[in-house]
Amino acid sequence: MTSALPAPVLRVSQLSKAYNGILALDGVDLDVRPGEVHALLGGNGSGKSTLIKVLAGVVDAEPGAVLELGDSSQDLHGWTSDKAYAAGLRFVHQQPAVFSDLSIAENIAFGTTFPKNRAGKIDWKALNARTADLLELFGVHAAPTTPLGALRAADRTRIAIIRAVQDRDDATSGVLVLDEPTAALPAEEVEHLLGSLRRYAAAGQTILYVSHRLDEVLSVADRVTVLRDGKKVATVEAAGLTENDLIELIVGRPLDRIFPEQVEAPASDVVLSARGLRGGPLADVSFDLHQGEVLGVAGLLGAGRSELLRMIFGAYPVEAGTITLGGRAVRFATPSAAMAAGVAYVPEERQLDALFQGNSVRHNVSAGSAGAYFSKLVFRHRDEQRDTADAVRQFLIRVGRDTQPVETLSGGNAQKVVLARWLRRKPAVLLLDEPTQGVDIGARAEIYTLIREATRNGTSVLLVASDPEELAHACDRVLVLRGGRIAADVRTPLEAHRLTELINAAPAAKETV
Amino acid sequence: MTTTPDRSVVPDTMPAPRVETPNHVEAVTGDAPVVPGGTGRTRRGPGALAIGFLRQYSLLVLLLLSLLAYGTWSRTADVFNQAANFQNIAGSQSVLAVLTLGLLIPMISGNLDLSIGSTAGLSSIAAAGAYADAGVPLIVGVLFGVAIGALVGLVNGLVVTRFGIDSFIVTLGTASLILGAVNWYSKGNSIIQGIPQEVISFGGGLTFGIPNLVYVLVAAALVVYYLLEQTPYGRNLHAIGSNKAASRLVGIRVERDTCLAFVLSGTFAGVAGVMLLARSGAGNPQVGSGFTLTAIAAAFLGAASFKLGKLNVPGTLVAIFFLAVNITGLQFAGVANWISDVFTGLSLVLAVAFAGILSRPKKAPRPKADKTASSGEPARA
Repeated sequence: MTSALPAPVLRVSQLSKAYNGILALDGVDLDVRPGEVHALLGGNGSGKSTLIKVLAGVVDAEPGAVLELGDSSQDLHGWTSDKAYAAGLRFVHQQPAVFSDLSIAENIAFGTTFPKNRAGKIDWKALNARTADLLELFGVHAAPTTPLGALRAADRTRIAIIRAVQDRDDATSGVLVLDEPTAALPAEEVEHLLGSLRRYAAAGQTILYVSHRLDEVLSVADRVTVLRDGKKVATVEAAGLTENDLIELIVGRPLDRIFPEQVEAPASDVVLSARGLRGGPLADVSFDLHQGEVLGVAGLLGAGRSELLRMIFGAYPVEAGTITLGGRAVRFATPSAAMAAGVAYVPEERQLDALFQGNSVRHNVSAGSAGAYFSKLVFRHRDEQRDTADAVRQFLIRVGRDTQPVETLSGGNAQKVVLARWLRRKPAVLLLDEPTQGVDIGARAEIYTLIREATRNGTSVLLVASDPEELAHACDRVLVLRGGRIAADVRTPLEAHRLTELINAAPAAKETV
Repeated sequence: MTTTPDRSVVPDTMPAPRVETPNHVEAVTGDAPVVPGGTGRTRRGPGALAIGFLRQYSLLVLLLLSLLAYGTWSRTADVFNQAANFQNIAGSQSVLAVLTLGLLIPMISGNLDLSIGSTAGLSSIAAAGAYADAGVPLIVGVLFGVAIGALVGLVNGLVVTRFGIDSFIVTLGTASLILGAVNWYSKGNSIIQGIPQEVISFGGGLTFGIPNLVYVLVAAALVVYYLLEQTPYGRNLHAIGSNKAASRLVGIRVERDTCLAFVLSGTFAGVAGVMLLARSGAGNPQVGSGFTLTAIAAAFLGAASFKLGKLNVPGTLVAIFFLAVNITGLQFAGVANWISDVFTGLSLVLAVAFAGILSRPKKAPRPKADKTASSGEPARA
């Protein structure tokens, strides 16, 4: 670092963080210069969000990590959210905690305090006046009393940003950290938000910007830091970079050994097919799933990947279109109807949608199938125990006793419990939504081996994953979902680079692959 | 574990690290168990086994110790040790126990039924009224009382599941509604005429020295235990109570099962109502609703023993008799009446807190030794 460059306003050095002995961050350095927009990039599990959480004081770093803010130097081990706030760090998270029923003024006031008159009553006049000033400053054209829900998506995010930075008179101090602020925004709203970020940066605000969308990063960022597997890959000037350069940095070395060998492209029968499927974010989706195939579904957050799986499983309303399963037209009204027809579904949110906290591993494995052990008014607990023991062995679940509550398991093992629940039913179609989220790399390999095994036994798999790397390795074929349609059907050779390009391409573009 | 960075650079003045649970990556976000803790630990040794036993059966041990204490204490022993005393306790608690057992069914599915007490009162008045005003045969009166309870449960269940209203609110409403209806029908007077003698003598009678109502209680306990622990339906209720969304996604019919849970708790309240009529020999509009809070307290107290942190049948029974034995004993000892309410309240809070402390992981908050704090023990995976 030459002396000509401005001193960093925020510098992190030697930041490590381990979860259960697995390093999510491994000696990461980061320096952010005053007044720049600094982008933080990396795939899923690269440690981006852990880094942000450490800075926010939500997650404690391992000892030895140092945070320098201007002239002061602090230990990040024992860093708290109060200290982060006092130090001028402001955070706007992916789904900002805004209250859509309340007015803009109220939403902003929650960031500091409500002004009160002498009697202790909220001084609405003062609050609305202050809010109007802030709105003008940030270029939001709305009255302070407007309910937040009435605003466009980009403006809602702007309100969250205003709330975060409102009490700092001096825009040149501190750092504004934005965690994927555009993830939930429709494409046309993104440009509006980026415009105000550029203006804000030009006024001297330092911004740390986390995003998946490479075009965005290239259009707003001055410099880019790329993380991969918890390590810093590089910090580079954004000027002159292309999306391909970034992909190169993000994806890095191949991970072939993690994934089982791909089988020859199956030329077998169609098991499940969809024609003109519409509903939620999906406009018109058609595809065929073949016997024994692992068919990937790629797309950005909000592209409707999860909704597609849920539609097939009878857990999301289908507005139009047909689904054919094993030659018969089906439209399942409930998950139990889908299950009866041999469909299985592993949801994305393991904790919220799949696990039964407080219930034992055994009960979690046989959830939904308990009826199979009940005959002649007797519950065959021993049969259930034997089957669970088999499942624990077959699905490589590391557990002491099957009476252990399921929440004592690690993420990978809990996910294997959910997989075991479905795979032992020998489903015809297995719908998987981000099956390796929050799963360490070892268990991830095992999970993909189990999925491959299932396909050899006749199961066909529809796999949703955000990581292009993972899709490229685990799938025989990948559908790219964009703008509510299948924008591309990618066959061999599957490459993470190509998938990343296709996923991030402008929604209007049509690909023929 | 070998990959964690060197910790030797930690300065002594470091603030205490926050305590993190071993599996904090997958930190529990679902509904907390009724009692903190649960049955988590797997490590066992002779000491741990003893602790584990005490933890699980502390309330049972306390019940036995109480029986011993009142049986030997000079101020109570004379009256307490008489067979009539035990018969009286068992008989009088049977009504509450049947009510509480029924309550367990919706509670396990994550719902509360605050109307059970009023429903029992309604069933008792309804059966009494059927005998007194319509002169129905013996069995018809009994069935009518039970059916009224089931009907109330059905209404509760339908409102909760069809309109998606919190069961707390719905059953609070029906509880009050029923109370009003009962007072309107009875004009606040007990129905004492026309109750068949068979009903009254059954309620007050003994078989083999044991009150008849205790046999009803035993049957109810077996039915509820079987339902909750030995049928797929019970398994589904546990699942719904743990995670409604996940239950739907494994094909459980959440609405139907939840509705049925209310029908069952109403039915048991109906049974309890008829038992009430049989025991007191009159349909009294004033009793019934008073049972609700005691039943809820007993259910929670029961969750502090046997299956720790979970509502369960044996724990509930022990809890009810623990409270009854002590309240009776204290009354014999001549303490004031208000003591019984204080005792119930204290037992509930202390027992639940105690079960929580005992089932907390032993290694927990020693922030001084930094080695165990943030890296934690390896996942039990």
